[in-house]
Amino acid sequence: MASANGSFNGPADTPLPVKDEATNSVTQAGFKITTQKLPILKAGPIEEMTDRLKITPPEMIFGDNCVRIEHPATGWSIDFNAFDALDRVDKTGDAMLKVSYSKEWQQNRQKQFEDIKEVVKPFDWSYSTDFKGTVTSPNGSTFEPSETLIPLALLKRPDPILFFDDVMLYEDELADNGIAMLSCKVRVMPARMLLLSRFFMRLDDVIFRIRDTRVFIEFETGEVIREYTSREEKYDVVKQKLAMTREDIPAIMRDANRLTQLIEISDGTLERMIVK
Amino acid sequence: MSDLDKAIAQLRACRPIPENQVKELCHKARELLLEEGNVVGVNAPVTICGDIHGQFHDLMELFRVGGDVPDTNYLFMGDFVDRGFYSLESFLLLLCLKVRYPDRITLIRGNHESRQITTVYGFYDECLRKYGSANVWRHCCEVFDYLALGALVTGASKNLESSETSYTDAGTQSSIEDQDIEIEILNSNSEVINRFPRSSRDSQLPPKSSPLSSPILDTPSRIGPVGTGATSSSGGSRSNDGGAVLCVHGGLSPLIDTIDKIRLLDRKQEVPHEGAMCDLLWSDPDEIDGWGLSPRGAGFLFGSDIVKCFNHKNDLSLIARAHQLVMEGFKEMFDNSIVTVWSAPNYCYRCGNVAAILELAEDGSNGGYIPRSNGDLGRKQEMERDLRKRDPPGRRYRVFEAAPQDSRGMPAKKPVADYFL
Repeated sequence: MASANGSFNGPADTPLPVKDEATNSVTQAGFKITTQKLPILKAGPIEEMTDRLKITPPEMIFGDNCVRIEHPATGWSIDFNAFDALDRVDKTGDAMLKVSYSKEWQQNRQKQFEDIKEVVKPFDWSYSTDFKGTVTSPNGSTFEPSETLIPLALLKRPDPILFFDDVMLYEDELADNGIAMLSCKVRVMPARMLLLSRFFMRLDDVIFRIRDTRVFIEFETGEVIREYTSREEKYDVVKQKLAMTREDIPAIMRDANRLTQLIEISDGTLERMIVK
Repeated sequence: MSDLDKAIAQLRACRPIPENQVKELCHKARELLLEEGNVVGVNAPVTICGDIHGQFHDLMELFRVGGDVPDTNYLFMGDFVDRGFYSLESFLLLLCLKVRYPDRITLIRGNHESRQITTVYGFYDECLRKYGSANVWRHCCEVFDYLALGALVTGASKNLESSETSYTDAGTQSSIEDQDIEIEILNSNSEVINRFPRSSRDSQLPPKSSPLSSPILDTPSRIGPVGTGATSSSGGSRSNDGGAVLCVHGGLSPLIDTIDKIRLLDRKQEVPHEGAMCDLLWSDPDEIDGWGLSPRGAGFLFGSDIVKCFNHKNDLSLIARAHQLVMEGFKEMFDNSIVTVWSAPNYCYRCGNVAAILELAEDGSNGGYIPRSNGDLGRKQEMERDLRKRDPPGRRYRVFEAAPQDSRGMPAKKPVADYFL
């Protein structure tokens, strides 16, 4: 139990939940959709992940969770999991944000501790990712840029939902400076399905980011549409917009759905492929 | 039944007390806390707890597992509020217990015990929702300003005593083995999950066997809370003093090289954005050399050498801190010189982590003599004699899970299907 660096952790021997119980799956029109939900990783797996990622994983890391869409006939699949998403986080520190009171803190520190300069393991600690899912495609077909939008009208119809899940992949409180979270929702209807992978980040008094990846599949035609949108806005601007409302502002600042109505799309891609 | 006992009973049922009672309680608590130094002296036996974060039902579970106040002596290392749904009930109950049994419960300040943080992370909104005004939040914040910044635990035993030592002859082999237990991990039913003797720690990895097959577990495995009667009979000349343990919410500060410097701070204020007081509540240990800056642009990180140097200089055997979520409930680092204790199971009702509390037993080898309760007297001289690294006290970790979901009217675990777009 004592690890190489001399640290000592709690009971690693506690039994893990049976993975089968944590897994849900449905097969509809040749597509198999699977979700897995387990508690956050324990110290051992976190150390392994840290070694592989080269950055410190978020505080709440649901490393065993995933959402996967497979098409067994062709071997095609798209996977959403924490490791692949975090692998796309900037690891150099070039895209690093600073907390709102950083300037004040730094100025004071420099007066007193000139010798403490080194920033420990710089990386994008807001865990901002542009992850769009990990695609496996044995026959070589890939997503191509496209103009075809996801047919919202079809998705607004009250078709029965055969399968639904909401899976958290990671979450971090940014050391009490806000929130960063990546989660994945999926709903399967008789003729089509929609997956939404959303990264939501609020750095208090600094910035908001919402990055959505939607995967839409029309089962009949095997058409897969993948849309990625990125929204970003300064904290003050959002606060200003909310100041006119009489609503519960702290609640809205936690609600990515509401915030998407206040923050314009600044970047995005639209792609399409056929899986048949 | 006094009004205070009535308030305790009401809060134990997770029902808030009226605003005027909160005001009175906070006033009494402030008077009491005002008398405490920045670093409170605490005698072992004591049970050290980490973050609670408004998880009231899990706090009740903690008391079930660790023993009730005043039977068990508790030290809570801050972050009573925010995140969870019952910050108000959790904090007011702890405060009532503090006022009712001031010598049996110690509360120190966490970074969430601040006006600024509670307005963002839930406690302010909760007060507003439950009382219709921010008055109660304001009263509580005034108490926050008076909370101590740290605690110094003295009189802890170096070796854990199993219940069986009380009836095993002191000269036998097995009792020597029992006395050499440094770390013991128990589950919420007081069953031993794991035990680690002091000698084997450095030489080799402890055996990774399942609890049921472990030979040491042939001994009786049900053990009551520490400090419930048993005193040590450790014979011989070997010292059983586990050294002093400093408890703070976050960690060390480059401005603080001695505990006396903590004692000199003016603590009665909102947690500042920088300076020693801020560091004590915010900093984190990390696998680095010396001091480092957090990549977030504010806050210090400190390495193994900093902890070892500080412990040596202050004649400490261990630093106990909270502040960071650890999945196993506790995490010892830097050759057992610092431990993180986390006491909020299934954090935010979705992490699936376990929680832990740390029990330090009383060192009874000095015939029941208890060093004076609020300070350092006599510790310095001992330091002169012994310049080696101090062995930390025996640590008994009780690990527990979240209270049953159905007892708190929480939303169903299964997500409700929605027509998201």
